[in-house]
Amino acid sequence: MNDHGYPHEPTGVDTRKLGMWVFLSTEILFFGTLITTYLIFKGRSFDGIRLEEVYDIPFTSVSSFVLLMSSLTMVLAHNAIEKFDQERTNIWLLATALLGAVFLAGQIYEFTEFYHKGFTLTENIYGSTFYVLTGFHGAHVFIGVVLLIILWGVGQRQKGLSLDGGMNLEFIALYWHFVDIVWIVLFTVVYLI
Amino acid sequence: MNENIQKKKFLTVFKRPSSTEGVWSWITTVDHKRIGIMYGYAAFFFLLFGGLEALLLRIQLAKPDNDFLSAAEYNAMFTMHGTTMVFLVIMPISAAFFNYLLPLQIGARDVAFPRLNALSYWLWIFGGLFLYSTFIFGSAGAPQGGYLAEEIGWLGNAPNGGWFGYQPNAAFKYSPGTAMDYWALGLQILGISSLVSAFNFITTILNMRAKGMRLMRMPVFTWMTFAVAFLLAFSLPIIAIALFFVTFDRQFGTTFFLTEGGGDPVLWQHLFWLFGHPEVYILILPAFGIVSEILPTFSRKPLFGYAAIVFAGFGIAFIGFGVWAHHMFASAISPVAQAGFGISTMVIAVPTGVKIFNWLGTIWGGKISLKTPMLFALGFIAMFVIGGLSGVTHSVVPADTQQTDTYYIVAHFHYVLFGGAMFGIFAGLYYWFPKVWGKMYNETLGKLHFWLMMIGFNLTFGPMHWLGLKGQIRRTWVYAEETNLGFWNLVVTIGAFVIAISIIIFMINWIYSKRKGPDAPMDPWDARTIEWTIPSPTPVWNFSTPPEIESLDDFWHKKYDEDDEGRAVRKEAADQLLVDLEIDGLNPKEHIELPNPSYFPFILASGLPFLGYAIIYKSLALAGLGLLLLLIGGFGWALEPLEEEEIGESLDE
Amino acid sequence: MSQAHKPHPTPKQYVQIAIILGILTAIEVALYYTESIVGVFTDPLLMILAVGKFVIVVGWFMHLRFENKLVNRFFAGGMILALVLFAIVMLERASANFFFS
Repeated sequence: MNDHGYPHEPTGVDTRKLGMWVFLSTEILFFGTLITTYLIFKGRSFDGIRLEEVYDIPFTSVSSFVLLMSSLTMVLAHNAIEKFDQERTNIWLLATALLGAVFLAGQIYEFTEFYHKGFTLTENIYGSTFYVLTGFHGAHVFIGVVLLIILWGVGQRQKGLSLDGGMNLEFIALYWHFVDIVWIVLFTVVYLI
Repeated sequence: MNENIQKKKFLTVFKRPSSTEGVWSWITTVDHKRIGIMYGYAAFFFLLFGGLEALLLRIQLAKPDNDFLSAAEYNAMFTMHGTTMVFLVIMPISAAFFNYLLPLQIGARDVAFPRLNALSYWLWIFGGLFLYSTFIFGSAGAPQGGYLAEEIGWLGNAPNGGWFGYQPNAAFKYSPGTAMDYWALGLQILGISSLVSAFNFITTILNMRAKGMRLMRMPVFTWMTFAVAFLLAFSLPIIAIALFFVTFDRQFGTTFFLTEGGGDPVLWQHLFWLFGHPEVYILILPAFGIVSEILPTFSRKPLFGYAAIVFAGFGIAFIGFGVWAHHMFASAISPVAQAGFGISTMVIAVPTGVKIFNWLGTIWGGKISLKTPMLFALGFIAMFVIGGLSGVTHSVVPADTQQTDTYYIVAHFHYVLFGGAMFGIFAGLYYWFPKVWGKMYNETLGKLHFWLMMIGFNLTFGPMHWLGLKGQIRRTWVYAEETNLGFWNLVVTIGAFVIAISIIIFMINWIYSKRKGPDAPMDPWDARTIEWTIPSPTPVWNFSTPPEIESLDDFWHKKYDEDDEGRAVRKEAADQLLVDLEIDGLNPKEHIELPNPSYFPFILASGLPFLGYAIIYKSLALAGLGLLLLLIGGFGWALEPLEEEEIGESLDE
Repeated sequence: MSQAHKPHPTPKQYVQIAIILGILTAIEVALYYTESIVGVFTDPLLMILAVGKFVIVVGWFMHLRFENKLVNRFFAGGMILALVLFAIVMLERASANFFFS
């Protein structure tokens, strides 16, 4: 709606970007609740297998690094679109989606291993909280990968993404980075501490 | 239709719908006004259901040891009554007001994300229908080994763990069957609906204001909408997780809230009330906003202390995040926590008091016109103060230990939620009736509604203070003869029926006036805010020319000057101004683009109930269907372009 | 989205930032293995590193450092609210277990 009588965005922030930041601020509460639950239960004693007995820090470290690098490719994609370099944008977009998919594959592999070793969702409260917490994160990564692919698809159909398009690279990038920073916190809190 | 109004049209793989009449136009609408109207009617429907549930409860309690409802049915009725009134009545009616009025009050054409707005509505209605489908598909079993192992009739096959779902009572062991799953999953869908609305409104208020509509010139109702949006945005994610935990516990074998697996039932209370307390401010702030519009108009005086009211509103919202454990004084929380939350609860009375004094200051010395909206607004102040006073008594921890789980608490929250929020809502419904429908409601019937409702309401909830302190326990289907509480319980029941009659009168007034009421002028109340500067009923394009605001209560200042003593003096040009505004309002000169309708919010929203059913009935097929609808909705939405492509001639319209 | 963009980091700078992030992650993983040496400092150091990475990604990759104050306030507001509310819940649960268990 580009009515001329209306001041364009009195706050100076693009409307869609603003909407995405508000959404991300609420996601802080969402993941905050999950992490808090995890921390509350972590301190308590219970029977059964613990995460420490089954995890593989080197493997998860590599996974974490992969996700971290996907933030780099995301930011490079953003950079490319700002320069209207459609080819580069596509490359970096797909690279990000690929890295995200690799991360997810790593998670799935990890969880399957854990299950084989007996660390399951219903094993004990620790297992429940672990899987729900990391599971929600994984779901967010999955949605992110889907969004990236849709974005790439829109670019193909419209013969190039524009900065003003409805499917806006900038706000999907924000979502993607957010998913990454949640993992930064999770990796430390769940695996390392 | 005026040829200057052109719906944007463009060719896509999925052609955007274009009808303006008929059912299809409602299903695909993204017009905030239509969405508001849909919210309003559906919420009213649910009000009738919630009211019926209340009447059933009251019939059961009209005499001691009654057997009109079984214990199981009683539990279902009070659970559904509470859940319905909170999530399916007050919140959506507030949403109706936000949706209809917010763009008008800030001078905009629509909200920031019109399709997302439609999504909120469809999610809400589907969530509500999903929740109510429990009566058809759901089942509530008797808890294992419980003494209530009786046949549960049709009426009992509904969520029965209370609207607050305390664990482990509402967990599978003590609430077997599917009913509480309907509750958890239904609430989940409703939560997403409100969350989406919240970002929409925050972004709209920040970025869609008309020229000159600075933040401190916005109407108080808009400010309260802003505060509510923040409360929703930051509290709903918490309960979303909590509800996921409940669903996981019930369906997937986890033990988040079950002690036998190391879980913590008090954690549920924390998470629920972290949402639940902000929720009650979500319920009352819209009414605060409505009343803040009505009092100045019907006292012909500006709002006393505009800035104070705005900041107090945000103060209440902010502190509202810090009082949640006052719902847990009688749970096993530490004394330190009890003391801390007791204090914060007392503190929140301060900004509330500021508002009350400001409202009184507004009326003081004004030229008061006791039309129906004003009666409800005044009734609101009186009833809300009573509710607030009983609320403050709850903040004293030892006193609350006596009051908790008794009818004293029931009295408190009905005074603030019914006497407060609902009265405020009725005030708003009458006030804006002419703007929305272009007709005037019948004033006599309106007054009759008010007085009957006042009497009925106080007859119903007044005695509950005494009944509670005498020891009548809430959430219990019978009380013994020996308690000697029968007489006042009967009075309460009679009061409930008086309320019901008053609502019938309201309905008659509404239906009759909409059809046969006299036409309403553009500005029937000689009001102050800019939604009254456009014709009644509101044209689909809202403002013909985007307004330019020069001050707070801009419209009032265009009609009135002030003399030396601060009294309002009508400008000579005022009458002509009204005539001109109306003519301009009906005949836009510039080319106006309206956001296009869309199928996809409806389609996307329809996927979620199927996912809900899939989880309850463990059906992959239903899950697949739900996901498919989500994907179709999502992809379609993403791929329909926003911007107009240059097509050449405009297509048929 | 047509407002003048504040200067973005260049691709080269982004890569440098990514390298820093990689190094921080490596230190974190190293800390996990050297717990016996670092002792009681391990957890606080891990948290500091995590916060550091968080701030870098939010500030530079998400561009918050260069963004309008309003957006900063939203994010900071959400963070502060979450931290305060959840700290209270965790403290309450910990103290309840202390008093009642």
